[in-house]
Amino acid sequence: MPSQPPLPPLLTPYASSLPPSSLTVLSSVLGATGNWLVLRFLYAALTTSSVSDAALGLSETSHGKKRKVVLVSFLRGWDFWRTEAKRLGLDLARLTDKQEFAFVDGLSELFSAPSTASTQAPIHQSSLRGAVPPRTVLPLRSQPGPVPARGPQPAPRPVAAAPNPPASKEIGPVKRLRLSGNGPAALDALEKDIAAVINGVRTPTPGDGQEDPEVLLVLDQPDLLLAATGPSKGIGATEMGDWVMGLQQYAHATVLTVSADSPLIHNASTFAHQPSTPLETEHAAFAIGTAHRAHMVMQLRNLETGAARDVSGVLRVSKGGAWGQNDSTEGDSHWEEKEVLYFVQRDGGVSVFGRGE
Amino acid sequence: MSFRKRNIGLSAGFDRNGAVNPSAQPQQAPATPESTPGVRPSPDDGRPTTSTGTPSLDNLLAGHGGLPIGKILLVEENGTTDFAGALLRYYAAEGVVQDQKIHVVGMPEQWGRSLPGLIGPADAVDEKQDKRKGDRMKIAWRYERLGEFGAGIAGSRASVPSGDQSQSATDASVDKRPAFCHAFDLTKRLTHPSITNLNYIPLAPSNEPLLVTIQKRLQAAIASSPPNTVHRIVIPSLLNPTIYPPETSQPDHLLPFLHSLRALMSAPGARITAMITLPLSLFPRSTGLVRWMEILSDGVIELCPFPHSSDALATSGAATSHEEPPQGMLKVHRLPVLHERGGGSDQNIGLDWAFTLSRKRFEIKPFSLPPDEGDKEGQEAAVTGGMPKKADLEF
Amino acid sequence: MAPTNTSHRQTHNLLLISKLLSLRDTASPLTLVLDSLEQPATPLIKEYIRRAKLSKTHITFIAFETLKPLEGVDAFVSARRKTPLEILKAVGAAYQDVSSSGPSRRRLILIDAINPLLHSKKNDPQFHISTFLSSFLIPSSPTAPKVEVSLVVNFHQDVPNPPAQSPYAPSPLSMLTYLATTIIRLHSFSHILAHKAARDRSLAAPVFGLEEEQDGVLLGRLDKSTGNESADGIVLELEHRRKSGRGVLEWYFLPSASRYPPQYVKEIVTLLDDHPLYRPPQEPDTGAGEEEPESTFELRLTERQRREREGVVLPYFDAQQGDGPGEGGRILYDMGEEDDFDEEEDEI
Repeated sequence: MPSQPPLPPLLTPYASSLPPSSLTVLSSVLGATGNWLVLRFLYAALTTSSVSDAALGLSETSHGKKRKVVLVSFLRGWDFWRTEAKRLGLDLARLTDKQEFAFVDGLSELFSAPSTASTQAPIHQSSLRGAVPPRTVLPLRSQPGPVPARGPQPAPRPVAAAPNPPASKEIGPVKRLRLSGNGPAALDALEKDIAAVINGVRTPTPGDGQEDPEVLLVLDQPDLLLAATGPSKGIGATEMGDWVMGLQQYAHATVLTVSADSPLIHNASTFAHQPSTPLETEHAAFAIGTAHRAHMVMQLRNLETGAARDVSGVLRVSKGGAWGQNDSTEGDSHWEEKEVLYFVQRDGGVSVFGRGE
Repeated sequence: MSFRKRNIGLSAGFDRNGAVNPSAQPQQAPATPESTPGVRPSPDDGRPTTSTGTPSLDNLLAGHGGLPIGKILLVEENGTTDFAGALLRYYAAEGVVQDQKIHVVGMPEQWGRSLPGLIGPADAVDEKQDKRKGDRMKIAWRYERLGEFGAGIAGSRASVPSGDQSQSATDASVDKRPAFCHAFDLTKRLTHPSITNLNYIPLAPSNEPLLVTIQKRLQAAIASSPPNTVHRIVIPSLLNPTIYPPETSQPDHLLPFLHSLRALMSAPGARITAMITLPLSLFPRSTGLVRWMEILSDGVIELCPFPHSSDALATSGAATSHEEPPQGMLKVHRLPVLHERGGGSDQNIGLDWAFTLSRKRFEIKPFSLPPDEGDKEGQEAAVTGGMPKKADLEF
Repeated sequence: MAPTNTSHRQTHNLLLISKLLSLRDTASPLTLVLDSLEQPATPLIKEYIRRAKLSKTHITFIAFETLKPLEGVDAFVSARRKTPLEILKAVGAAYQDVSSSGPSRRRLILIDAINPLLHSKKNDPQFHISTFLSSFLIPSSPTAPKVEVSLVVNFHQDVPNPPAQSPYAPSPLSMLTYLATTIIRLHSFSHILAHKAARDRSLAAPVFGLEEEQDGVLLGRLDKSTGNESADGIVLELEHRRKSGRGVLEWYFLPSASRYPPQYVKEIVTLLDDHPLYRPPQEPDTGAGEEEPESTFELRLTERQRREREGVVLPYFDAQQGDGPGEGGRILYDMGEEDDFDEEEDEI
């Protein structure tokens, strides 16, 4: 399999030009997760017209305007994203320092009881952050990171030692979300937290020279919030949709990942003939509802013919329900609906190809 | 890639190496001073892994040769059999032998007393098995892969020197040598000094939701232990209504619990693995709730025991007469790390797996049709037995 | 279909859709649009807005799931986190300033999706969708100037319905279809063509998107803009209840907006049956049908030959009538003068 650039050319038109105030939905299933695609979105937004891009002729990304990214992840921690991004050559810790990236942790303390109040260092104080020395700890923490060179390596590599205690104290440049209370009020609190991070990133840094940077908001599996709260807590598909819409207002464009497994979508569908649980109904309503509101829907699924060694899954890009709503903005993004196969290699690289190629 | 490397090791005589290893290791060992028994870096990407106590399950886990630290393995089982329970006992027993801290949720102390007895390091047991395997490989070339698969442990041990060997040099007793994976005997009872060390978390009613209590107790127990302890969380038969009150199967109870468990395990500095079993007959995979449990787990394995009696099985599916017939199919729905990254590129993907539980081992093998031995009756039994599934899959 | 019928449909039903889409004579106070992910309502909504603009109708857009105001909308009311009462007030206020100054007598209220409202958890049990919708249509006070209000409500068919509050209450969809004077179901033209192709071959109708029930598939639509240029456009399945109580059912085709200028006043909707891709024109069929393949042989029959051939009764013809065993199955043969009948040998 020929190795492809971090952002495969076939994906470039989809990942690099997201129209303003658009919603892109990325649906995944159990056996075909979308984290690699999220990383491609991060890559497309965070790398600008650098030399390497220009050499590859990726003219789409070279708008000259650098994007900033806020990643809100509900299922995976900072360590995962940082290590995986490093495999793409994206140093999220450094980008965080440069105020170009911010991670919002929806995993660590989302449901933790309020009694174990942690000492959350207030972030988004740009002047302070540059001076904070603990940044130097970060390189140390990269120890589980992969060795870039693959292949047989019989030489004893450093055994992953126990993470050093000082590193464990330092939670990194991370805002942690916590869900407390019921219903829309709980969501409002989360929205406020995330909005604060977005605004913190958006605040132009002195040396940047940019007036109003475009912020890409990536929401990784917010459907967990819905599944884990449910109607009994006063949160349903409508409230979640409102919540996402509220967050969209802060960002230039939004990418949202959602699970589209058959039990979560089809059990409650209008074509099913069995009663469905509230979880299934609300999830389906949320997932289908967001697809209706999306400008583009990227669907990941397993190969119909079963697993294969050189194919990880199928990616189908379709126009969402909101496609074509604003002609003026739609003009500069030209992409067509497509279905391709993809393969995630062990080294983190992804190749994307058509069927039969 | 690591797999290729292992295969090369195999052709050079894998199992003999495995037995010789103890003497060869000590020279390399001093290079890795700081390590914990039972934890070794993954041959795939160097992340720390620990054994599930079942060698063939270790090998199934996407090339890491064990369960990576910080990952949750969900074992689902159809029917009323308790094969998953056996896997769980091996997992717990392995932890006991490795001096890891075991947290058992919702089980009385008898459960801990029924852990299988230690035979010795898994490699030593493999040694005997492999002789048989050598015979079998003469039957047909296509069983070569079986040998390869079983050899995963030995091969990876040879290639990645794990620190635990350093202690084996000083340890006089070969049987108590902290190998990565051990073999256990289900008919015997485990006697080990640290078995009393098991932490039982009972399902006692309190004014809080049950799962919140469990979560808090887990958190407290882990926080109070010394920093370098490796923990194993064992949750047998989650949601089983005979153990758990009905409200635990509400998504707003269960999913926050699993999410917090995930958070606990991914906390920096934590060295925790967890294995959960789930009765699928009560909570089928086609429901949204179970799908969410699977999404929240890192690895998902489904056991589908064959419904026949053992007599009918005698001739079906078994590759040769002296091999144990498979007792069920095993489906891999998700593998730790691999699927989080996007899936694909695992040599074990796309195979049909069968499992066999015998007195001494739980073995997972590729499921294959029996060879044509000219045995008409056996063939017919095979067709009426486990075979239709295979045929259905292909056509 | 008989030609007279077609022309009747062409004139009457095209007039009807034109009236409905242009909101003339308040032909339909409440129009329900049923869309799905396979064919979203966006093109139709934009067509409504375009026509309303042409006729200087005041447009209010109630956005349950739209973030940015659409082009051409006079008032954009975001319904996010609003109670039904607050929405009503905002909609009323949006027209207040206009009605005092402008001469606009007609008003179009668009709701981009009613589903979030139906799903909302904070609705009190007193909330009824019928009263909510009708309160838009009824003037707030009797003294207010009379305004012709047309309400167009979009409903996503594929979003599952929340469990009913009362098991005996009708589902929201049945409620909406009952209330609506016009129901427009949207279909993707390429799907309609695929359905027709399957029907023509007596195959099972293909399913798309969510109906496939395939793991991980939300949308099945893939635009094939490369090969089939004119296949873009949407199909409207219209069900209209006339004031007289009679129902009209018709299928229309709305071409995509890029195919005509925004100021175009002539009717662009056609009957689906008139679309060349759906029902290929008859001319090539009849024209080419007469032309038999040319060859050096004379394959054609004269008129007389054809008549005689049709008159021939095939052997065993009466076996099909099933008069019982032994009865059918005789060879039917009429003796001609050239036949030499031998009583001993031949037997009829």
